[in-house]
Amino acid sequence: MAQSVVDAPVKKRSKYLESPWPEALLMVAVLILCYIALAFISFGAETPPGGMSGGRIFMCLFGFFFLSFVIALVAVVAGIGGGVLFTPILLAFTSLDSLIVRATGLIVAMFSGLISTGPFMRGGLANLRICVFCAAAYGMGAFTGAQGAIYVAKYLGAIGEGIVRLALGGILIGLATFFIVGGKKIEWPEVKKIDGFTKKLKLGLPYYEPSLKKVMHYPLTRAWQTLCAIVGVGMLSGFFGLGAGWAIVPTQNLIMAVPLKVAAANSGVLLGMGDCVAVWPYLLMGAIIPLFAAPWLVGQVLGGLLGAQILIRIKAGFVRLILIGIMFFTSFGLVCKGLNLLGVIGPVPMTVNGAVFVGIMIIVVRGVIKQIKSGG
Amino acid sequence: MEEKLKMPVSQKLYGEFIYWITVVSAIICMVGPVIAMLSVENNVMNPHYFFAEIFAGKSAAEVWQTVGGGFPGGHFYLKHPFTGDGFTQFGLALGCLCAIPALIAAAIGYLRQKPKVYLYACLCIWVAFMVAVSAVGFVKSH
Repeated sequence: MAQSVVDAPVKKRSKYLESPWPEALLMVAVLILCYIALAFISFGAETPPGGMSGGRIFMCLFGFFFLSFVIALVAVVAGIGGGVLFTPILLAFTSLDSLIVRATGLIVAMFSGLISTGPFMRGGLANLRICVFCAAAYGMGAFTGAQGAIYVAKYLGAIGEGIVRLALGGILIGLATFFIVGGKKIEWPEVKKIDGFTKKLKLGLPYYEPSLKKVMHYPLTRAWQTLCAIVGVGMLSGFFGLGAGWAIVPTQNLIMAVPLKVAAANSGVLLGMGDCVAVWPYLLMGAIIPLFAAPWLVGQVLGGLLGAQILIRIKAGFVRLILIGIMFFTSFGLVCKGLNLLGVIGPVPMTVNGAVFVGIMIIVVRGVIKQIKSGG
Repeated sequence: MEEKLKMPVSQKLYGEFIYWITVVSAIICMVGPVIAMLSVENNVMNPHYFFAEIFAGKSAAEVWQTVGGGFPGGHFYLKHPFTGDGFTQFGLALGCLCAIPALIAAAIGYLRQKPKVYLYACLCIWVAFMVAVSAVGFVKSH
């Protein structure tokens, strides 16, 4: 490749002077100051008649931030985007309007992608050519999906809400199963034939692989087929307000033969880029309420930065198991709520929810113990 | 000491633009709620009322109507830049628009590269155009 020349060796500085530490520390400092100020203002504020007290507002804002931070941390360490957890959990276990949740979910997914873009681009792991090529299709799909979501919410009412939850429950069950089975992802896909169209696109960009200590070149194929699949993935993401990294990675890896690591990096960049198109229909119709969405956004950005640092240092196999457990429990909640909204069943008693939760967690804990014993 | 690849300038530009705009957007979204609570009347929607409406499962249109007297439009931060929720919405909008300058910068990078890469410069502009059209709200299905 003409553009990839090898630089002269670089002398290393203290890591705390290098990105992301200065900006992460600045954000943490601003965050602490803001929440201290918010606590003083909120707890001292007079509650207007019929309004929520300042203390409760503070608890809401801080609670949203904290939850989003934990979701981002768990999600990044488990190797997925925050949106995959946010939207299903809120739709399954709260009575919030589904359009508000999905719109905020898209913000969550988008910002977890945006914050990972810088490091992936600097490190050269992500490939901007593949991302821009796919974003041209993903953006259109996601925009259509978002418009569809608004249409369904406007004209289908409670039935639409029920169907959305049922469909999302189905997707989540499929996804959790896919995580268990492991899919057929290949670290270094073999390309037997490069078609003419893909060859003309010159999509490849070599990257440095630290585990092999060498620069890797990778051939690509089936660009057209990837483009078609990405439109569908975008629609799914835009409609459900769900990060679609779990679909983008296998699409690039299995169809286009992008190496697994590069596909994972590309998915974050693509989500950030493509969801900038999908998010605006929601913003323009008021489904994103600024003070509700802001703490979720901040939690994703800080959790994403910290999660990426933790990911470098720990073996996170057991986090993935916990995540799978959360996904199964959330799918149960989604299916029950969906059936309830469609009038098929009544509200599910807390005891049943509790029993299912305990059952799933027992299986997860057994799995975690087994994995720790085997050194995973 | 390790060997590193020199990244194409378009890739670097895209990454840096996105990253720093996202950081600024997040900081604005941290400060916005403080401004909102500092002067609760100086908001499009009074925070003392709208959280209860959201938790009651009301739709976005109902929440805006009940608390704010109607939705003022997605770009209401342009008319109310110094209100708490207007400032926060500005932070959100900034993050949601960050792809436009980043893609334009990447397109310029592709055009300054030798040899010039017209295809990807055009694709960058196309995606930036899609974000812009979406943000303006020209295309609606409802």
